[in-house]
Amino acid sequence: MFFAALPEPSRIGDVLMAFLSIVFEGAPYILVGTVLSGLIAAFLDSRMLDKVLPKNGVLSTFVAGVLGLVFPVCECAVVPVIKRLVQKGLPVSCAVTYMLAAPIMNPIVAVSTLTAFKEFQKVTGWETIGNATMTISRLSLGYAVAVIVGLIVLRFRPDQILKKSVLDGIAKVGADGQHATAPKTSFNAKLVHAMRAAMGDFLDTTMYFTIGVIITSVFNTQVDQSILNDVAGNEWLALPTIMGLAVVLSLCSTSDAFIAAPMAVFSMAAKLAFLVFGPMMDIKLLFMYSGVFKRRVVLALLIGLFILIGCLSEPWMMMIQQLATK
Amino acid sequence: MSGTRTTIHFLSILIMLVWSAVLLYFYASGRVNAYLPPDGIFRDMVLIAGIGMGIVALFNLFTTQAENAACCDHDHGHDHHHDHDHKEGCGHDHSHDHKDCGHDHSHDHADCGHDHGHKHEGCCGHDHGHAHSHDHAHDHGHVHSHDHGHGILEESAWPGRIAAMLMLVAPLTWAAFNTPDRYSANAVVNKGLYIPNYEDKTNADKFALRQDKPANATKVDRAPPAPTPMPATAIPPPEQFNKAENVAKASPPPPDKAQSYGSFTLEDLKKQVPQSKEGNFILEVPEIYYTGGDLEVQKVITGQFVETTAQVLPEKVNNKNGHRLRVFRLMVQCCAADARPYSIPVDFGKKAPDFKEMSWVKVTGKMTYKKEGDQVVPIIEATKIEETTAPADAMIY
Repeated sequence: MFFAALPEPSRIGDVLMAFLSIVFEGAPYILVGTVLSGLIAAFLDSRMLDKVLPKNGVLSTFVAGVLGLVFPVCECAVVPVIKRLVQKGLPVSCAVTYMLAAPIMNPIVAVSTLTAFKEFQKVTGWETIGNATMTISRLSLGYAVAVIVGLIVLRFRPDQILKKSVLDGIAKVGADGQHATAPKTSFNAKLVHAMRAAMGDFLDTTMYFTIGVIITSVFNTQVDQSILNDVAGNEWLALPTIMGLAVVLSLCSTSDAFIAAPMAVFSMAAKLAFLVFGPMMDIKLLFMYSGVFKRRVVLALLIGLFILIGCLSEPWMMMIQQLATK
Repeated sequence: MSGTRTTIHFLSILIMLVWSAVLLYFYASGRVNAYLPPDGIFRDMVLIAGIGMGIVALFNLFTTQAENAACCDHDHGHDHHHDHDHKEGCGHDHSHDHKDCGHDHSHDHADCGHDHGHKHEGCCGHDHGHAHSHDHAHDHGHVHSHDHGHGILEESAWPGRIAAMLMLVAPLTWAAFNTPDRYSANAVVNKGLYIPNYEDKTNADKFALRQDKPANATKVDRAPPAPTPMPATAIPPPEQFNKAENVAKASPPPPDKAQSYGSFTLEDLKKQVPQSKEGNFILEVPEIYYTGGDLEVQKVITGQFVETTAQVLPEKVNNKNGHRLRVFRLMVQCCAADARPYSIPVDFGKKAPDFKEMSWVKVTGKMTYKKEGDQVVPIIEATKIEETTAPADAMIY
């Protein structure tokens, strides 16, 4: 690494290129997310969440979906954060909705989608805001899907959804229905706790992330993309193919719009599916989710999101395009 | 902390320091530039993350003996004022099976039957498992809601731990030592070298030629384009205008392909594009690529001399007579993994010269546009090609 000349390019070298580039891009956000989750673990009082959220499960799920606009987070950072929030008393349905929605319903993604699809030019004023069809479709479909999944999760108990290790960390409610008050501890002790939790979360998340990125990097550099051209024209294969591509490429939601926009062989509905499915489910997320959710839940999420987004993309895109003023 | 937990603690610190070191090295050496674009905070985040990981790791190192709120901050729902202590070597084992759930909650820890693998040293001693009522109706027999940072490293047995630690350090360090900082021809081909799409309208304003022109100039307002005067300089008149079929090919392609983006003249071209001392317009391959989608620019630039620096690969599309090479630049959005090759053919009019794949070349020639298949393809009719050194940034951001 230090003294020898750079190795020659090779197939393996290509995989390493893709691997390191995704790692360099994503690892900082994992660190941010896990430091945040450590701080939540140590400093957030569980009773706080009780007070702030609407009592009604359905309503709080709807609210959770828009929180990404206020607390933006990227897919790499969101998993450790919601794990800790759940352990502090956030209802699992809200956590799942936020986890799925926040990587899409956030200002950075809105801007990058507007830019990649050249929609800034089309929106000249409030009347023409409907012209930003891809951005509106993406954010609205992302929200809708996240809320639907959250509402489904609402019907299950936490122990059916979460892994044992996560469940064990949940603050227990005592016999009198109140959270037990923790004894007063010093700020320093809490900080120590926060940093140790952050370190543990960082290593957990990064391990799953690494596995996912290795697989993605292999696909990214070793599979010929011209295969896509043959399937893109086929109306039955186009949507599943592009969603499969989203899974395999594991791109960040802040920039995947720039990858989708130029893919002229795919329809707008297909690109919508790519841009909504990708931030919710890809190889690295698959692995990161399996650190928090039971295996069958992760599988259900994969299949469910695939079907839901696959079915909704076309009609949704057509619906939003009605809003565009020509 | 017990022996096992201490070991895990120090190993975790070590792993974080390894990550920190790799990130900081790539940033400090500048090699990160081959992986991330310069705009935005991409590259700086690597520095911040490297420093941040170091801080978290070192903080944990220096607070190894300190009081950890996790020990005291339990919501067990019981009172914390027991003052028994956990004897040496005694602890609880979360991962053993309470099949009969018949463990005795009211024993004291002197003859402890559990092994947590931790000691609560330096922590308020508290009672884990007796003298309070709690719920037996789950498979462990008790639920400890303390937050010792349960994670893979703590939960699994040693084989799992070692596998996890290897997965955390081995790929990263191996990649750091073996990465070539650039792609091979194989990756470039896989990323779509031979499936270009010249009518790509969504990125029309990517090229420098249009920076100060609105992409959606309305047709009503636009004055008819001024006739393009031939420059009075030494640029020779383009010979291909003498050939009728080339002029026909350069005329507007079928609708729904290249678009009109407003008037554009040779003056605009000269203002927006630098010229070499021979008068060649210096353009990057992506810029030339995108002219395939802009009618007015094509009209102006056809027959002009351009020069570009790019990498070379054999041409496999429309090249039966072997007159062509393909030149490309990789363009990166947010990390090298999303790099896409932008490429155009270079036609020599005779057998194309041999170049080692992926070498950097400077090509000089005349711009022309030919309809091939259902696309209008920008082509350089080369007058000169020579090997050159790679530019500072191999990829375009």
